[in-house]
Amino acid sequence: MATNSIKLLAPDVHRGLAELVAKRLGLKLTETKLKRDPSGEVSFSIAESVRDQDIFIITQIGSGVVNDRVLELLIMINASKTASARRITAVIPNFPYARQDRKDKSRAPITAKLMADMLTTAGCDHVVTMDLHASQIQGFFDVPVDNLYAEPSVVRYIREHVNYKESIIISPDAGGAKRAAALADRLDLNFALIHKERARANEVSRMVLVGDVTDKVCIIVDDMADTCGTLAKAAEVLLENRAKSVIAIVTHGVLSGRAIENINNSKLDRVVCTNTVPFEEKMKLCPKLDVIDVSAVLAESIRRLHNGESISYLFKSYPL
Amino acid sequence: MNNIVVFAGSSDPYLVKKICENLSIKPSQVKLGKFSNGETSISIMESVREKDVYVIQSGCGHVNDNFMELLILLNACKTASASRVTAVMPYFCYSRQPDIPYTAKGAPLISKPKEKYTFESHPGTPVSSILTTQRPTSPGARRAVEDILETTIISTLSLEQPIPKKSNGGELHKSPSQSRIPMVPERKENSSEMGSFFNANNAGYKLWVAQAGTLIANLLTTAGADHVITMDLHDAQFQGFFDIPVDNLYCKPIAQNYIQYNIPNYQDAVIVSPDAGGAKRAASIADALELSFALIHKERRSQLPKGPPDASLTSGGGAVLSPKPLVSTSLNGPLSSQDMNPSSSKYVQTTMLVGDVRNKICIIVDDLVDTSYTITRAAKLLKDQGATTVYALITHGVFSGDALNRVSQSAIDKIIVTNTVPQDKTVSFLGKKRVHVLDVSRIFAESIRRIHNGESISMLFEHGW
Repeated sequence: MATNSIKLLAPDVHRGLAELVAKRLGLKLTETKLKRDPSGEVSFSIAESVRDQDIFIITQIGSGVVNDRVLELLIMINASKTASARRITAVIPNFPYARQDRKDKSRAPITAKLMADMLTTAGCDHVVTMDLHASQIQGFFDVPVDNLYAEPSVVRYIREHVNYKESIIISPDAGGAKRAAALADRLDLNFALIHKERARANEVSRMVLVGDVTDKVCIIVDDMADTCGTLAKAAEVLLENRAKSVIAIVTHGVLSGRAIENINNSKLDRVVCTNTVPFEEKMKLCPKLDVIDVSAVLAESIRRLHNGESISYLFKSYPL
Repeated sequence: MNNIVVFAGSSDPYLVKKICENLSIKPSQVKLGKFSNGETSISIMESVREKDVYVIQSGCGHVNDNFMELLILLNACKTASASRVTAVMPYFCYSRQPDIPYTAKGAPLISKPKEKYTFESHPGTPVSSILTTQRPTSPGARRAVEDILETTIISTLSLEQPIPKKSNGGELHKSPSQSRIPMVPERKENSSEMGSFFNANNAGYKLWVAQAGTLIANLLTTAGADHVITMDLHDAQFQGFFDIPVDNLYCKPIAQNYIQYNIPNYQDAVIVSPDAGGAKRAASIADALELSFALIHKERRSQLPKGPPDASLTSGGGAVLSPKPLVSTSLNGPLSSQDMNPSSSKYVQTTMLVGDVRNKICIIVDDLVDTSYTITRAAKLLKDQGATTVYALITHGVFSGDALNRVSQSAIDKIIVTNTVPQDKTVSFLGKKRVHVLDVSRIFAESIRRIHNGESISMLFEHGW
């Protein structure tokens, strides 16, 4: 007899987001056990039957031991598959290796494609992610990918927490112009762009502002903040151009390396990240950090996926 | 050697250098590193178009990082139009997984008795939670067989020597025949940690551990590997998980060579397998060198607080005592769960030796040492049984955790290990006198040469290089 039941799985570390989602759905996370051998290998067991069930595996992949998280996720997917789950959906809000999405030099690996292939190989039937660095990554998969947007949550945050009538939306690079422009349209705000010339990865060279920011609250919008070098420099450029204050809203606050130092020393008023990436410990070190909870969006998408309803509503609106 | 490209992963550049020396080529340039967020970054500095590419990466150190690095390297070579990409994994990670789930304390988690099957339904099927029943077996017949077996063991052993009886404070009591049938109290599973692991709704669900083996094989294929070379796979069946050819090299010829030339009076030595799983591997070395062979059998049994009188401990002798009848009440009627409170139900581990090692040189042969519990325990047992010298001959010395500490304090006189996993730490920790590192670079180099030239490599299986 087929049952119409849903199971939420999460690895044993960084369960914060998964717990919020589970709470929102009125479910409990399925009991699982990830065992790490001293040699570093991982084995995984599920304490309940998952036969013929709809499985959602929710992971938060941050900075640091990315490869461990990836292999844990793959092993969890594979374990569910071999335990005869009906459908396995990987909820990976911060898709790892999303920036390795093209062959930008000779013989560079397209690791995002490899990640897509590996997820499919492990037995993943569906992927839910959020603000992919390049939405073309969806094409790397042979399985359906739902790329959710943090935009409705961000709009909500700006309306509630920022004096947005005096604001201007800033894109820190040309690549993010489309995202920033869409947000500016939604809020009926002006839009400016910072053009940068990048010398090497994680290094910023020169920045040019396109647009007028005089006496405005600048909201820098980006999909990912890594070392925050770009953000700090952008804030300086904006203030040099007579901006009133600068805040940054990023979807994935990876905040690796010297990020906390950079933010603390920068002229940014506030750095707001969604909780797709675990950064609770970093919030203690940096008073400028703030968080946008996206668990409601993920929970609603899980509910809709499970019931076979349309997701496109969530692209524009925040769930009630 | 035209058109060959060898890349070194970050796990063991030294081994790669040696392999390349044997091939008279240079390892190709590749930059390995990490982005600031922890993602692996690589860039290949030489053209690989239409080349035969070998990527050498052992599954040691930080396993997951190294494995991902290997996958990304393979994928990068494949997408850069290499004609063939071969993954060379001297030690194949994730090739061994426990088949029984263990708790943190090392005791096996035995699933609940499968008497009542429930099917998932809502609301959940109510399950009686007080009953503790035994596994359906035919105890009578089984007991009889066991009794016969045990008495024969006792008689053969008692001919040669008295059964050593040790007792350390009753800590290792066991009741052999009875404990063959594991009985686990419901709900109050081994420890509080696992207590919440089961609930009434999942009665009948047997906890199992996911085997990553197939996944790892599939991931390698997905990344673009056309061929895999490895050594002494823990399970030979692992080869069957792949859709691509896997060449499993053997350390055996090198090991035999070492025994013949470096162990004095090796003709009198005994080859010992530290567990039943490795018996075949050890026996083949014993056969090839015409040496005698012994086996250590490990057994994990649950001990019950109530039941027949406790037999005395058999840590050394392997003798089994007290062939008393099973407790009959537990067969006919359910025991109350009060009899089974978790603190008094524990698992004991016994090891017994099959074969004679008195006044002999013992050579423990195993494919892998990780936590080193197995070989250190085996060495102690052998010394207790009168072995003069204990050698340990290991293919893959992973030595994770505080394994090296344990080995250094163990009864192992000399450890012989190959460099499929870098052994610098082992040598510096245990000293050069206690460790001998066998070099496998020649055998890997020769297999690469032969595979590149399309020659047979089966000769390497028997004769080494």
